[in-house]
Amino acid sequence: MSAPDKHPAKPPGLADRLLQLLLAPHLLENILGDLHEDFAYNVKRAGETQARRHYWREASGFVKPRYLKRRKDYPSVLISHDMISNYFKIAWRNLVNHKVYSAINIFGLTSGLVVGILILLWVRNELGFDRFHGNHEHIYRVLSNMGKGEDRRIWANSHAPIATFAKAEIPEIENAVRIKNSTDFVVFRYKDKQIRQEKQGYVDPAFFKMFDFKMLKGIRSNPFPAQNSVILTASAAERYFGDQDPVGQVLTADGKESFVVSGLVEDFPDNSSIQFEMLFPMALYAKKIALAYDGKTMDEDWGNFTYTTFLQLNARASHHEVAGKMAKTLVRNFRDIGMSDPYALQPLSEMHLYQTDGSDGLIRIVRIFLVVGILILFIACVNYINLATARAVVRAKEVSVRKMIGAGKFQLFMQFILETVLVFFLATLAAMILAYLLMPFYNNLTGKSMSFTLLNTDIWVMVGVVVFSTLALSSIYPALLLSSFEPLKALKGGLSGGVSAPAFRKILVTSQFAFSVALICGTIVIDRQLAYINAKQLGYDKEHVVRFELKNMAADMQSVRNTLLNSPGILGVTSASDLILDMAVTTTDTDWEGKSPDQKFFIHPLAVDKDFLTVFKLPLAAGQGFKGIASDSTHFILNETAVREAGIKNPVGKRFTLFGKAGTIVGVVRDFHFASLKQKIEPAILQYGPVNDEMYVKTNGRDAAQVIAGVEKLWKQYNADAPFAYTFLDQTYNHLYKSEQRLGVLFNFFSIVAILISCLGLFGLATYTARVKTKEVGIRKVMGATVAGIVQLLVKDFIGSVLIAILIATPLAWYGLNKWLQGYAYRIDAEWWMFALAGLIAVLIALVTVSSQSIKTALTNPVKSLRSE
Amino acid sequence: MNRTYLGEFEEIVLLTVAVMYGQAYGVVLMHEIAEQTGRSVKLNQVHSALQRLEEKGMVKSEVGGATSERGGRRKRLYTVTTHGERTLQQIKEVRESFWAKLANSFKPAIGL
Repeated sequence: MSAPDKHPAKPPGLADRLLQLLLAPHLLENILGDLHEDFAYNVKRAGETQARRHYWREASGFVKPRYLKRRKDYPSVLISHDMISNYFKIAWRNLVNHKVYSAINIFGLTSGLVVGILILLWVRNELGFDRFHGNHEHIYRVLSNMGKGEDRRIWANSHAPIATFAKAEIPEIENAVRIKNSTDFVVFRYKDKQIRQEKQGYVDPAFFKMFDFKMLKGIRSNPFPAQNSVILTASAAERYFGDQDPVGQVLTADGKESFVVSGLVEDFPDNSSIQFEMLFPMALYAKKIALAYDGKTMDEDWGNFTYTTFLQLNARASHHEVAGKMAKTLVRNFRDIGMSDPYALQPLSEMHLYQTDGSDGLIRIVRIFLVVGILILFIACVNYINLATARAVVRAKEVSVRKMIGAGKFQLFMQFILETVLVFFLATLAAMILAYLLMPFYNNLTGKSMSFTLLNTDIWVMVGVVVFSTLALSSIYPALLLSSFEPLKALKGGLSGGVSAPAFRKILVTSQFAFSVALICGTIVIDRQLAYINAKQLGYDKEHVVRFELKNMAADMQSVRNTLLNSPGILGVTSASDLILDMAVTTTDTDWEGKSPDQKFFIHPLAVDKDFLTVFKLPLAAGQGFKGIASDSTHFILNETAVREAGIKNPVGKRFTLFGKAGTIVGVVRDFHFASLKQKIEPAILQYGPVNDEMYVKTNGRDAAQVIAGVEKLWKQYNADAPFAYTFLDQTYNHLYKSEQRLGVLFNFFSIVAILISCLGLFGLATYTARVKTKEVGIRKVMGATVAGIVQLLVKDFIGSVLIAILIATPLAWYGLNKWLQGYAYRIDAEWWMFALAGLIAVLIALVTVSSQSIKTALTNPVKSLRSE
Repeated sequence: MNRTYLGEFEEIVLLTVAVMYGQAYGVVLMHEIAEQTGRSVKLNQVHSALQRLEEKGMVKSEVGGATSERGGRRKRLYTVTTHGERTLQQIKEVRESFWAKLANSFKPAIGL
């Protein structure tokens, strides 16, 4: 039954492998030898099957502590302490002996890691918005759907009664909180301290039950014991009371009403969409409404959509169902407004990142940045891989000698991994220090207050993930390549030309440059779009206009106007009911000649005085402006969009009704931008109002400071208690585009880093190619090649890769950027020259980087390069 | 009587090592013992006995040659030390003195 001699029976391999794994190394050889000998004996005696069975039995007998226990002094074959310290020694020597190479490597990795860390910090901050509330998964914001079809708007605001009725009628709702921003009070006084208070709001008492804002003092379940209670944030309280205990202190608002501080809350975190410094009870606002509306209570006021309502649902509730039930609540308690879905619920955590209709908002930019961050890390990794594989040629001899002495593949692999680890360790250290130092600038740039503290475990996790994924990506291939050389070939110089894996390396360089080209395209297009927005004619003149609120001055408007107009430096004065840059109010309460019954659109009403059109240089398309006469009160001016939407032909002289007040259209003003350029121009209607709260003073620019001083002096005569606050329209306008400008700056910054890293890699690669080809170049020169010819030879390969990169990157960049531009109602077209320019820049950069090394090599005296061995 | 204690199996292994005169190693010891005593012996028992004997200083070992049957692995050859020889000697003497006494009583008692 014995097996034929040519194929001697082998004992079970699995058993052997298990034993090799388990048994103490110093006993292994002897035991395995004995087992095998016994096996051979048994095969002869009882056949292979029996022998195998027996082998397992015998082998299992050795799984006992006696045979498993390692001898202390016996070195482990795989990872020995001595070898590891040797690896580090060699790695360190390699670093020190090749300073340029090491510097390029560490610098490239460091910049990649710094950018990666910075971007991830930003992304984490944006994604973490509003997620610090323990209940955030069950909290929803009530959205109000307005209009149908084309005219549909989704408002983030809601009316007050729905919170009360929905909470009472729908069992899934555990809590309902209304929040209303307040500008009812301006200046608060405590003893001799007068402070203009920003960020005030009215909230329902359940506010602190629903949200996790930390209360330092006061009662969470009953935060407002009385109607005149007020809660302050810690930093607001400090402004009024310093170190004193604020609870129980009295604040006087605008010299009229007094409030007792009933609680203290920690400052609202930066990553909260809800931001207040001072909170009043909603009951107080309800009282104000009842007074203003002759007894109509807040819960009967279905017409004003000025509240933000949050609902906390129980864990099992579906928010779609609740929204459906709320529609029925509306019908039961108010009336059927003819809409099946008047409400929608938006999860709290989506409030910051998504638009009200659920489409992408900020999340789009977060995604772009995340991709950019990963790309930059990838570029940095590719750099490392490229340089390490290029260096493989130089190290081939070292590897071969090691192999001949008896190094196993695994040991060599370990050696190169450890070298990478060392480089990474240095780069990470440098990156952490740099990121820490850059934090203040970065915060300035992003307008956030992120911190890079080593105590934060999150940051460690993040840095860990970044470093390890990069490490894994960039260490395995070079280590595998280096450890797999065949020693004899390598010693004989079989790895000619220094290109051991040419295709692979080319792919890497190409992809690296493809990303860089895409980033350059992005930079150019974003820059052009921002420039376009800045230069875009808004349709009115916003330069050098100072804006402030009239307050008590309104009573004496005529003399104020005259005084101002007589002051030097002032070119014009006008007032309006809303901020011209960002008109917020809309209404559908309109009627006009020839209106069809179902025709309805939103229009922005704005009350202005007679000088409004002239001060802002708003041109009329037809008709005339207001003259400041009594009959103006029944005159309207529409913008072109409003005329178009209403479908009125020859509008001047036609009837128009706004808020139930009938009048005539006297003029049509040309369209102007009264909102962000992201939006299309919407219908607007100007009505006459001789005195309005928003005051605009047009200055000549040179004397602006003087004018402001004069205005403030005049203003103080009327509003002695309150501090004077003003803004320049162009500044406010720039503020509207702050996020775009930040995006632009960040993008510039990131693409510069990406290009820099790519260049470093290319430079390193060019250096090594040049070095490896020294002899070839020498011989060519001896044979009569020109310097230009040799440079061309050395550069050709790289430029080819870059050209392919451009071909790949351009369509992708074009697609992505077009999608980004879609977000703007007024935008530039992504034109071919932008991409051509990006490609040209990439080629030039690559050419400069590579040719310096190539020229150096080409100029070398061939005698020198050929003589050395 | 200050000699080290030896177990019964250890004693047999030691004796076997002694009779093999420097050619003793794991497998052959196992086969030899099995043959001579007729009991089934496992390889790990032999190895552990050898280890214990070596710890007690009764055998010493050196690395020997490899064979293809062993997959190129070297043998560990055992020889008995002087201490081991002396111990075997002592055991034998103790037993013999007992046997001497026992020998008389096993003979049938026949009166004159």
